[in-house]
Amino acid sequence: MATYILRRLIQSIPILIGISLLAFLIVYLTPGSPVDRFRSPRVSAEAIAALIRAYGLDQPLPVQFFKWFTKFWGFIWDPTAWGYSFVDGAPVRDKIFARVPATLQLTGAALLLTVVLAIPIGVLQAVKQYSWWDKLITIFETIGYAVPTFWLGLILKQFFSIQLNLFPLFGQHTFGKTDPFDLLWHLALPVVTLTVVSTAGWSRYMRASMLEVLRADYIRTAKSKGLGTRPVIFKHALRNALIPIVTLLGLTVPTLLSGAAITEAVFSWPGLGGLGVDAVRDRDYPVVLATVMIGGALVILGNLIADIAYGYVDPRIKY
Amino acid sequence: MVATNIPASKLVAPGGGIDEVDLTPVRTYWQLVRSRFLHHRLASMALILMGLLILASIVFPIIGGDAWYKTSLKFGQKDPVSIIAPLGYDNIGINIFYRLMKALQTSLMIGAFAVLIIVVIGTVVGSVAGYVGGKVDNLLMRVVDVVLSLPTFFLVIMFVAFLGSGNVLVIIFAIGLTGWTTAARLVRAEFLRLREAEFVQAAKALGASDFRIATRHMIPGAMAPVVVAATLGIADAVVTEAALSFLGFGLLPPEASLGNMLTNAQDYFYRQPLWIYYPGITLILVVIAASFIGDGLRDALDPRQRVDN
Repeated sequence: MATYILRRLIQSIPILIGISLLAFLIVYLTPGSPVDRFRSPRVSAEAIAALIRAYGLDQPLPVQFFKWFTKFWGFIWDPTAWGYSFVDGAPVRDKIFARVPATLQLTGAALLLTVVLAIPIGVLQAVKQYSWWDKLITIFETIGYAVPTFWLGLILKQFFSIQLNLFPLFGQHTFGKTDPFDLLWHLALPVVTLTVVSTAGWSRYMRASMLEVLRADYIRTAKSKGLGTRPVIFKHALRNALIPIVTLLGLTVPTLLSGAAITEAVFSWPGLGGLGVDAVRDRDYPVVLATVMIGGALVILGNLIADIAYGYVDPRIKY
Repeated sequence: MVATNIPASKLVAPGGGIDEVDLTPVRTYWQLVRSRFLHHRLASMALILMGLLILASIVFPIIGGDAWYKTSLKFGQKDPVSIIAPLGYDNIGINIFYRLMKALQTSLMIGAFAVLIIVVIGTVVGSVAGYVGGKVDNLLMRVVDVVLSLPTFFLVIMFVAFLGSGNVLVIIFAIGLTGWTTAARLVRAEFLRLREAEFVQAAKALGASDFRIATRHMIPGAMAPVVVAATLGIADAVVTEAALSFLGFGLLPPEASLGNMLTNAQDYFYRQPLWIYYPGITLILVVIAASFIGDGLRDALDPRQRVDN
């Protein structure tokens, strides 16, 4: 197992280099320069030239890349490793770390709710395949799957915030309040938005997985031994049907930090996704690069977790 | 040698004359696919829905002429609901129905062209990787891994923001250049399967060039999963465009897009609650239609599936 993890980590190094190279090239080869945002009639040409030197933009691109890439990984001890934001001059690392809790609150709550809802729904659908319940839920799943998150967010806002005046329109806290109830009250709508969309997908997945397991020979064996429906479903079928769900869970890890950009934008939630989108809009290159790198690293990590977890829950898998 | 003396007529299996030989015409693969697809009730309905949406997006902008951007003094006017403006007028007096149809046209066009790029890049990369194999395969698949690891939507936003917001071509290319990985993997998998197939060996033995074998013999056989992925990809591309426009990176007014209509409707949440439903429901219809067609195609293209009446 340890050698497998080590091998996977080593394999991911070239991918990480590829990600950083691609991100770096997109940022630095697209028209316009990072210093363009400082150009104005009141800024002299010498000041711009000094800025270009200060950012190291006068050096050849490979040198710049190498410097940036090697410095990037020092973020654990060096707060300036990711550079300074072009917008407010704050160290990018601190800017990003400051946004992580808000995003985790939102996506963590949504993921928890999704798992809690989707698994029973999918199991019930599979057990009662083709019943009216199955058909009804399938219709909801289809719609839920097709609804774009940002539109669902808007609809929820319009109905619950404006027409019923039950929930706040946006933000994380009422001004001056920090108690958990206020936070939950603000969390409700964005979490529901994310949950509806992901539950639709997950329960479909759970249903398919459960149906496949229910057709397996060992289920028939268990039934013919005279076991009741309940132990067959919960002890034999469910545990095996959960194996692909564990993989899905691992693959969802990266979206915990980056997957909610649109929902965050709709509800003005002060999270990472919103920071990334704003950074692109402001051409805040250091923040953009850091966001892409974090996103990429998380995907690799998520895949690794998924594979390890897969081997853990399914002893048939050997590394 | 026993049978030599038996008259030919007696050789026929009992109960079956010559005219009882199965005369149902042999159906080609694509005829079977069509028949299987049409037996899929939801998929056929989705196909009709998609056809109607496409038809509407072509016909109404022609009928409407410049109605999709022409302002008037009838802003916010809802009644009397007329044939000319079934959905009323928006905040600057533009006929909402015609604007919606124009937006639908733009969305479908972006979806179609983005998917075209996805299919072309995916097929080229996948077939080269699958056919050549070895180091080339390894290298190309690592590139696929890199692109897959990047946060796709964020990458699209970066592309669009840095190369020109509001430009349809940039949006199409941004979606196309970030979304081809799945198609490439599918084509590669099919190529690995087909590489050992007998008809490919036969073509090789006949002296066909690699290019000819790949393009004429293998690609047609490898396209089935790509067709499914492409159909589903249209839905993704349309939603991505709407999200881009919604966040302000995509098409900007006066261009019409489902996303920027939503952004606009957001400002009239209270007084015109219906406005966000028009582009939203249009979007959902496109997505549902595309995903059901994709599901139907997936079942229909699978040769192991039987036509059961």
